[in-house]
Amino acid sequence: MWARRGKKATLHWLLNGGRGPHMIGPSPTVDGHGIDPTNEWGHDVLWWLDRMVRSQRPLAEKMTLFWHDHFATSDQQTPLMLRQNKMLRGRALGSFPSLLKAVTTDPAMLLFLSLADSDKGAPNENYARELMELFTLGRGYNEHDIREAARALTGFQSRWSRGGNFEGIHYSRENHDRGVKRIFHRRGRFDWHDVVRLVTHHPAHAPFMVEKLWGFFITKPIDHRSRTKLVRLYRHHRLQIKPLVGAILAHPKLYADLDRPDMVKAPLVFLAGALRSTGRYIDDDAWSWILEEMGQYPFHPPSVAGWDWGPAWISTNTTRARFTAVNWLVRQGPLKVEDGSTPVGLSPADHMERALAATGRPWISSTTAGALNALIPRFFEDVKPTQTSRMQQRSDMCQRALRHLLLSGPDAQLH
Amino acid sequence: MTNPHHACDDFHSTSETRRRSFLDTQLSRRQVIGRGLGAGLAIYAAKAMPLVRMLEAATAEAAAAPAAPILVTVFLPGGCDLLDTIVPVSQYGRYADLRPGLKIDSPAALGSTGLGVNPHLTEGVNGGVKGLFDAGKIGLLPGIDYANPDLSHFHSRHFWETGLITPVSATGWLGRWLDHAGSKDNPLQGISMDAALSPVLRSSSTPVAAVSSPDDAQFWIPDVWGDAFDRTMEAWTQIASNRPYSPGAAAAYAGARQAKSVADILAPYVKDSAGNDPLASSVAYPEGDLADRLKSLAGLLSLPLGIRAVTVESDGDFDTHDNQAGDLGDGLSKVSASLAAFQADLEDRGIADRVLTLVWSEFGRRPQQNESGGTDHGAGGVAWVQGTRVRGGVLSEYPDLNKLDSEDNLAVTVDFRRVYASLLEQWLGTGADAVIPNAGAIGRLQVVS
Repeated sequence: MWARRGKKATLHWLLNGGRGPHMIGPSPTVDGHGIDPTNEWGHDVLWWLDRMVRSQRPLAEKMTLFWHDHFATSDQQTPLMLRQNKMLRGRALGSFPSLLKAVTTDPAMLLFLSLADSDKGAPNENYARELMELFTLGRGYNEHDIREAARALTGFQSRWSRGGNFEGIHYSRENHDRGVKRIFHRRGRFDWHDVVRLVTHHPAHAPFMVEKLWGFFITKPIDHRSRTKLVRLYRHHRLQIKPLVGAILAHPKLYADLDRPDMVKAPLVFLAGALRSTGRYIDDDAWSWILEEMGQYPFHPPSVAGWDWGPAWISTNTTRARFTAVNWLVRQGPLKVEDGSTPVGLSPADHMERALAATGRPWISSTTAGALNALIPRFFEDVKPTQTSRMQQRSDMCQRALRHLLLSGPDAQLH
Repeated sequence: MTNPHHACDDFHSTSETRRRSFLDTQLSRRQVIGRGLGAGLAIYAAKAMPLVRMLEAATAEAAAAPAAPILVTVFLPGGCDLLDTIVPVSQYGRYADLRPGLKIDSPAALGSTGLGVNPHLTEGVNGGVKGLFDAGKIGLLPGIDYANPDLSHFHSRHFWETGLITPVSATGWLGRWLDHAGSKDNPLQGISMDAALSPVLRSSSTPVAAVSSPDDAQFWIPDVWGDAFDRTMEAWTQIASNRPYSPGAAAAYAGARQAKSVADILAPYVKDSAGNDPLASSVAYPEGDLADRLKSLAGLLSLPLGIRAVTVESDGDFDTHDNQAGDLGDGLSKVSASLAAFQADLEDRGIADRVLTLVWSEFGRRPQQNESGGTDHGAGGVAWVQGTRVRGGVLSEYPDLNKLDSEDNLAVTVDFRRVYASLLEQWLGTGADAVIPNAGAIGRLQVVS
């Protein structure tokens, strides 16, 4: 796509989408049946993973993941989490203040951070604190601001049926603290709308958002000039996300050292990318527990701060889990090497070409290329050409091993 | 104490004999046959140089210092409440005023200390955490925190993890200890019993690992077996030896290399085909992630693997902004039953004198309860040291409920860095200055008997 259409057209397509359908390819199945995201364990995860694999709006999916991590909400009822996910996708590239309003009134978030039922008698500070620390500012406020914002945010009440089922959220003026609050040196009878306005107008907000989004796409630290420019751009566009993301995606630093990728892929990016590039669609629920083992189980981030990204994704255990993911990729579907399917007597170059073509030609380092080229003849070193069945068996194993290492090795963890 | 670096150097001269003796004693011929490919592979792969070194490092350290002390840290995520966990019985009236809806009605008294525990802390073998306290195996640290505490989970947790009161990125305090006093070769010297490595163990140069179980650590590829598989994994090791050019690449290459060596070191301890578990415990553990992790850990600690520092994260929700009575009770039940089983298991295996456990949480909670039946983030939390060799009792002053600070928080009575420095010196035998900056100024507390 990039090579065919060029950078500008590709960026335009990424940001705005094309004319075609949003999703292409077969719908997800488990054991031959359609998935049930609301009721079956792990099917909520498959539902989203499937979107990542089949979407023709990949940036919308990636930004939905960004917001799920940014406004991390965990362990709430599945219908509420799916509802939040759809809300985040719909607003992923729109106005930040509108998104923040939708998040502040989102039932899963209200329940997760105890803003539901926080009332004027004893305001709960949980949401106010994370709103400033993690969602909008990071710095430039104090404990007093948090306490006063918590008062301003009171009034949301949850409704539950007699059987204990969640029925919804309503806003109760009775439970809202209507007194005067002092937040960021301003005084007023603030409510939650005012809090959203105050935090998004705070001078620390634009730099905070610029740095967070930069770090999502680019590992190199942001330089002072780019930071100033992007902050200005974000403010100029009245805190719209799309122009800011567009500018980051067009930034030369994103294209520096493309042959030395240095960002560790998040588990979801690793898995969705491998599925997408090998033409495998969702036909198994194993991906859900494998994502959990790789350390990124969507809809269940470890805390309100989301996941730790970058090198922190990697441990001995998560490395092993990524290897497991590739076991599941090669054991069925388009990557599977059936017994007897590999031509006997392929040259090392042909073996390599066959494996690269099957795996979507991932980037590999020269060390990896050298190690794989040296590995190929070792499959045959103790087999005589006259031992036809052993030659066939080793040819198949060679293909299986090459495909596996191309997708599971350390190079495949980087982009 | 023995310097593991020194021990490691000593070992290289006699490595081949020792390695053989390790393999012979730990892995009989019957076991090799019984376990089939996995264990056979480990022996084959051990012929390759770097893996030999890994095996050597682990066994060398264990052989050179069979009694080397081990520090286990157990993290209670969310900020565990002090008042409803260790109840101030001697200040009960004031406590009841602050916690009208939450107060623990009948705390289990801790001798004549004027304190009691949440009844959930009596759950488990031998009377749970309370039983351990009564037996002198727990030193309580009420009011633990640091001056002017930051009430953000992430900041406070980061400070505890790094042992530094600064928001900048840094190695973990036990990772730094291993950088200073650990081995260059043995990734099992510092392990997180989890999918991901705890920031407590993040090191700058020494290898460390995240491990869930020996079985899960092993590698296999569908329909690639025998020599073909072994050669494939040799190529894996070769690929992973690539020189890293960035932090991301360094993580990916080190992860690949170390995952393989962890698998090889642990290969002798996988369950055999008949389901026999070489790490099986005779103690019954409760259900739950914390118990599962501690159970695997007790088995690993009993082996000559050179483990020195361990992190375990508890399940349970201690961030009790609402429904504190239920959530804290559930969390403490798990903690009590799991830690009591772990302690009994260590004693049963005859290694309890080598293991000290520190239980910690990132901060405490407000003394005044909120309207949601919970408590918000506060200062002056709770921690304890546990083991046969700790100084039992109440090791820090319980905060005075009539003397709250200007933010209506509990007073901080002991700095967690003082506990770290004391553990480093009294338990791990290392000067604290190399790990905790300005350690001289923060004082010490007797934590080991």
